[in-house]
Amino acid sequence: MIPFVGGGARNIVDWLADELVARGHEVEKVMLPFSDEPNDLFPQLAAFRSIDLTDAVDLAICIRPPAYFVKHPRKVVWFIHHLRTYYDLWESEFRLMQDTAIARSRRDALRRADTAALGEASRIFVNSQVVGDRLARFNGIESTVLYPPLPADYAASSKPAGDSITYVSRLDLTKRQHLLVEALALTTTEVRLVLAGKAAGGGYGVYLKEHAANLGVSERVTVDDRWVSDEEKSDLIAGSLAVAYLPVDEDSYGYPSLEAARAQRPVLTTTDSGGVLELVRDGVNGRVVEPTAEALAAAMDELFTNREQTALMGRALADSTVELGISWDTVIEGLLS
Amino acid sequence: MKVLVANNMAPFMWGGAEELAVTLVDRIRRRGHEAELLRLPFRWDPVEDILGQMLAIRSLELPNTDRLIALKFPVYLLRHEHKSMWLLHQFRQAYDLYDAGMSPMHDSVRGDELREAIARADGQSFHEAHAVYTNSPTTSDRLWHYNEVPSDVLRPPLNDPELFGGGRSDGYIFAGGRVTGAKRQLLLIEAMAHASSKVKLVIAGPPESYRDPAALKKKIEELGLQDRVHLDLRLLSRREVGEYANRSLACAYIPFDEDSLGYVAMEAAEAGKAIITTTDSGGVRGMVQPGNNGWIADPTPQSLGAAMSAATASPAKTRKMGQASREYWRGMNITWDYTLDRLLS
Repeated sequence: MIPFVGGGARNIVDWLADELVARGHEVEKVMLPFSDEPNDLFPQLAAFRSIDLTDAVDLAICIRPPAYFVKHPRKVVWFIHHLRTYYDLWESEFRLMQDTAIARSRRDALRRADTAALGEASRIFVNSQVVGDRLARFNGIESTVLYPPLPADYAASSKPAGDSITYVSRLDLTKRQHLLVEALALTTTEVRLVLAGKAAGGGYGVYLKEHAANLGVSERVTVDDRWVSDEEKSDLIAGSLAVAYLPVDEDSYGYPSLEAARAQRPVLTTTDSGGVLELVRDGVNGRVVEPTAEALAAAMDELFTNREQTALMGRALADSTVELGISWDTVIEGLLS
Repeated sequence: MKVLVANNMAPFMWGGAEELAVTLVDRIRRRGHEAELLRLPFRWDPVEDILGQMLAIRSLELPNTDRLIALKFPVYLLRHEHKSMWLLHQFRQAYDLYDAGMSPMHDSVRGDELREAIARADGQSFHEAHAVYTNSPTTSDRLWHYNEVPSDVLRPPLNDPELFGGGRSDGYIFAGGRVTGAKRQLLLIEAMAHASSKVKLVIAGPPESYRDPAALKKKIEELGLQDRVHLDLRLLSRREVGEYANRSLACAYIPFDEDSLGYVAMEAAEAGKAIITTTDSGGVRGMVQPGNNGWIADPTPQSLGAAMSAATASPAKTRKMGQASREYWRGMNITWDYTLDRLLS
């Protein structure tokens, strides 16, 4: 974990712990601090490796990298992503360092160390097929998918569908909110756009507002650059027409997709959104279009115009989560098997 | 400001230090800061593994953190440019317990080497700390004796003083806290046989083993005190503990040679109750000024019985002593306000 940074990776730990406790198990959460500074990588891996939980616990469930470096004879990994900059993002524009000889050797050493540490696990699960494929491709490790559910007490509000395509997520370049602003400028209907979430930094939130102003769509877009509570989130989604979620090659379907399903709203996404495509199918329970402003604009107009079809796809998305077996019972049965 | 509180953890072990760490985080948040608790696993058995764990903690990074408050060995080895230490105790196996021949390090061929490595790492860590506080004069004395590091004492305040508001007395003497040999509840029962027949005693708290309740019950029956001693031996909620203290006439707390002032005595004082303790109770004596706010008896049934009789004989006087107890305690200024002023300075 990174101190004082919440979000998905911590939620999954907290929710899993709650579900285990609810089933009568004793649970301790161990959250170790981790910095992604490349020069600090290996000393930190060694530190994680020095933590020996043998005899202290019956089973160690390891979630976020590099938690699976700890020692325990019965280690089960629920792998949710690599340290991606050293893996699938290495060849992309999102690599966080220069491609130098030392960076490359660090990358290769990490891959070997990961493979060895993961190789000790008695079982390896992943949160999506996308991540499972990466694990097979980079580490030669087979895994089983266990889709992460929302917490049991997640409250879905009930409201009539509104006129907005709503995107509740961190405002971030890799989540591509800007693409939706550009798409909005090309729409021909009165469809609206709501972007809510805290900007990760670098002024992306400010940029989105300026971008909307420059394109003359400020009237139809709301940029709410702040941390959104669960209640507000569920309210925003319930009052939406459809939910947008277009991360770049995401690891999993993402909680926004599940939140949309709870509210029976379809998801608008793109063909390159990665794990989202394991849940969302074009024309069935959402829209999957090319990652261009033109294609997104056309889809937004259709969602707005064919409201009955939009509502049907929303209900279909809720059904899809059941078909995929996205439930805590499935997860815990798998992890403890 | 982002304040990280660091403590050790052993899975599924929970005690006073864990409770204190959680309360500290909560109090820092109430001051309007961001606060988070970091709990790092640590095992001291086998002792040969300690060195590797020290190195591990030294190797961890703490991004996105303005302040670090570390409570114990070895988490205080964490590197941070603004580190305060609030030392609950040193790693005693490497210091006073080692000297006393009571350390598992004596059983290891690497024991001496390990002890020196710990002392060196400690020295460096104390040196780089922005400030060093301890929880008691005993801890500070040891720190000075073994590491020549000066420190200020910041006694841990009560975690939940609001539960000890005081109130009307129901006339009994309350003995709270863990029920175990070192806390000498058995001696209190024996004292009852020497006290006046008006004295009533309530013993309430979690027993450490199944043997303790059996021994207490047996003693009560032997001495025929069934009508005057009430046992409530279980883990009580904090609210229940507060109720027992608030409705008591006075509180008795007679641990053997305790390091600290003792939470039980602090709770009694917060609730405005006179305190009965013994000459050999260690730090607890610091809570009692005989004649003003309580009694310091000899650790004998006769002497304790006399103190309990005196407390019961004149309830009005005992109530006044209770008020003095609260004033004396308040004067010590052991509050979260003061503690945070220092820890966050």
